[in-house]
Amino acid sequence: MIELGTVAAILEPQRIRGLEMPWNRVMGTTEGPAGAARALGPWHPQEFMAECVETVPEAGGMMTFVFRRCDGAPLAFRAGQYVNVAFPVNGEDQDPVDRSYSLSSSPTEPWTFSITVKCDPTGLVSPWVHENVAPGTVLEMLGPVGAFHLPDADRRARYLLLAAGAGITPIMSMLRTIHSLPGTADVVVLYHGAEAGGFAFHEELAYIASVDSRVKVFYALGDRSKPEGWEWLSGRLTAAMLDDVAPDANGRQVYACGPEGYLNTATELLGKIGVDDTSINMEFFTGDRQTILEYQAEIALAVDIAEEIAEEIADSAEDYYESQPTAFGLYEPGYDAEGPLKATGLPLETVDPDAPTSEAPDGSPDVGPEAATPDASSFDTVGTGSLTLSFMRTGINVRIDPTEHILGPAQRAGVRIGANCKEGMCGSCKIVKLSGEIEMNHQGGIRAREIDAGKFLPCCSTARTDMVIDA
Amino acid sequence: MTASVNAPLNSRGKLASSLPAEQLAEISELFEFRRKGYSLDAPFYTDATIFKIDMEAIFGQHWIFAASIAELPEAGDYVTVDYGPYSLIVLRNDDGGVNVLHNVCRHRGARVLTEPAGSTGNLVCGYHSWTYSPEGNLIHASAPGETKFDKGCFGLKRAHSRVVAGLIFVCIADEPPADFDETAKIFEPYLAPHDLSKTKIAYQQNIVEEGNWKLVMENNRECYHCDGHPELACSLFPTWGLTEGLIPAHLEEVWDRNKEAQSSLEERCRRYGLPYEVVEELDTRIAGIRISRESLDGDGESFSPDGHRLSKKLLGDLPDFRLGRCSMHLQPNSWFHFQSDHVITFGVFPINEHQSLVRTTWLVADDAEEGVDYDLEKLTYTWKQTNLQDKAFVELCQTGAGSPAYEPGPYMKSEYQVEAFINWYVQRVQEHLA
Ligand code: FES
Ligand code: FES
Ligand SMILES: [Fe+2]
Repeated sequence: MIELGTVAAILEPQRIRGLEMPWNRVMGTTEGPAGAARALGPWHPQEFMAECVETVPEAGGMMTFVFRRCDGAPLAFRAGQYVNVAFPVNGEDQDPVDRSYSLSSSPTEPWTFSITVKCDPTGLVSPWVHENVAPGTVLEMLGPVGAFHLPDADRRARYLLLAAGAGITPIMSMLRTIHSLPGTADVVVLYHGAEAGGFAFHEELAYIASVDSRVKVFYALGDRSKPEGWEWLSGRLTAAMLDDVAPDANGRQVYACGPEGYLNTATELLGKIGVDDTSINMEFFTGDRQTILEYQAEIALAVDIAEEIAEEIADSAEDYYESQPTAFGLYEPGYDAEGPLKATGLPLETVDPDAPTSEAPDGSPDVGPEAATPDASSFDTVGTGSLTLSFMRTGINVRIDPTEHILGPAQRAGVRIGANCKEGMCGSCKIVKLSGEIEMNHQGGIRAREIDAGKFLPCCSTARTDMVIDA
Repeated sequence: MTASVNAPLNSRGKLASSLPAEQLAEISELFEFRRKGYSLDAPFYTDATIFKIDMEAIFGQHWIFAASIAELPEAGDYVTVDYGPYSLIVLRNDDGGVNVLHNVCRHRGARVLTEPAGSTGNLVCGYHSWTYSPEGNLIHASAPGETKFDKGCFGLKRAHSRVVAGLIFVCIADEPPADFDETAKIFEPYLAPHDLSKTKIAYQQNIVEEGNWKLVMENNRECYHCDGHPELACSLFPTWGLTEGLIPAHLEEVWDRNKEAQSSLEERCRRYGLPYEVVEELDTRIAGIRISRESLDGDGESFSPDGHRLSKKLLGDLPDFRLGRCSMHLQPNSWFHFQSDHVITFGVFPINEHQSLVRTTWLVADDAEEGVDYDLEKLTYTWKQTNLQDKAFVELCQTGAGSPAYEPGPYMKSEYQVEAFINWYVQRVQEHLA
């Protein structure tokens, strides 16, 4: 639609205030399918195969496994989410054992992704993973899952990231993500470990903290006696420690990940230092039966959605991808039929894959069912000219030339339109167009946002196509 | 916009010079023999002629708080502001600035815009459709047969405006007092961090108080009566306005808590580079001001029963919710509370000698969602209650001033700001009448 008399908005250069994920703009757009979005892949849990391409030993008995999807697609996820992996622990011909692992890599590098696994010698799966997964290993995965993640856009972006032990993995993903993006974030990390040499990623953490002025990292040892030369904090989490590392904690969003006991203590202490409970986001790495059940429900829901979407894609891949941008962002795991999952916090909505697109492609408002009811073909038609204007309220068709201003012929045909200046200044003739294109030459009688809402001034507009008008 | 493009509205002392000499002498005497430290004589609160003088000497000559930028977020948005005989259109223009126009059609004087707020392109008078640009120029008047009609002579009259830290001030004088810019320099750094340009109106309340505007202002300038504000007393230390040595026994414990809260607030302010010192120049400059950042009781975050935040979205780039309240008093018609989570603006618009409109506006971050980030009832509760209580206090005094038995009484030490306000007022009017 071309509008004369209004100057096309020139995009102003924008500083990113706070934090904005690179996909945020794409997710927010409601217009036609965006190529960039497709490149990132669907933002729903999917079942896919992934091949290990690298292993990196980490401190603290952990190992990072880098994967890429076998289909070559990038993995779209949000920093803090996890994948559920099927490990053929008992051999290829037995049922695999599922385990969930937080992604430790950043979604801003989506072509490969990592999980970081701590080896628990008494466990069934982790020793097997350390022993058997190596470049070339192909595993079946489901993901991404989880509502514990950074927001897509946050103009405040002040965070306190709390991690204990292996709880550093999703926190690491968040930190890598923030570090890779522009913006004015302010991040404090407090990382608890059991022994001085057991802090995974400590070299990278030190590097990020040294080059990124937005990030501060603090380490703390638990109960055990601190070794010679330890310059960081010691002792379990306390309110005083929190207040020390982040005296402005009560103005921050807190993301905490670790064992259940640690997180329960953290909740209590954060409350004490004034952090609002709605500002606290947690991911449990161990938990009671209740927590475990909640995570199971989260994964079960993700499986359902993954299957539903896979079917839709199989039915008509084209339609499915066409509908992507509007469906984006609507799926948030962490919610089941009974309501929000407690372990992951906020109530969230599941996707409605049938959600209609909200606007017609030309940006004009939808013709609602009521507006469409009267049938213009039954109206009387007056005048001569190559174009037809259908006035729905008056119930008349007016034929008009493309050079004529709309107001005069309409008024003469009995359409009730107030008018005064007839020069596009006073705005008194303003009416709503339901379809068709006009060319308008106004002089301040109408505002850009009114034009966006479908209004126009017939005194200074000519028709370019047949039109349907709400008058 | 500082240039005045129209002919003078009213020449100085117009009303005064039109008064019978005897009446003028009588009124001047009332000002001259005002007893310092005492409330004003009854006619100041009840007399229609003094009200007219107030409109001319105070509201006609000084910078008046009109609205905040959050009330007109987009080009074309406007509010109309009425006081005494005046009605002004405060309009956001396309350059992001503000135009202030007298809301009086240049044809036969009809109100051009009749709504209290809205959005418009050009301004069209509802009577004969004279059409003015947002700058006030008459751009269309259908005038069949007229030959000598010069549209250039009939623009809407303009007034001055200043937007400082998102607050809009207007002045209808031909030459506004120059020291407002100095005052603006004082308060701008206190308020700017709250970034009003990124706020929205959560709620606006208009109450008409049956009281002279000066009684409304006087009541605001002291907390001697704060025992009468049980909701407010939860978070606002009732020791406000008191100093060591003036603390009554029943407030000693509160005073200690207040001192402790204040010193930890000041430490926070220093850490974040936020100014907090008291600047008090209520009657020592023409654009009189008092500003400071002071602690709140409880959690120290906002005006709630426990001092906890009322909106979950921080304003501007503020780093912390525990920032107490940055409060500002401006002469002649406004006061403000800036918290970390919301801002409340108060404007007093006189209607006549015994009625005043008090407009209270609650602003929250523009991305705060009602029902999610804030509960409107809770957000507005404390000050809605407090406003009603204050309205009752003001009305008690107005009734009193109408009684033949009324006689000015002494302001107490804790009411020194009331005295400052009255002193400011008397000086300003006397200068004007001189
Ligand atoms: S008649 Fe004035 S804008 Fe159309
Ligand atoms: S009074 Fe406004 S146009 Fe006549
Ligand atoms: Fe009060």
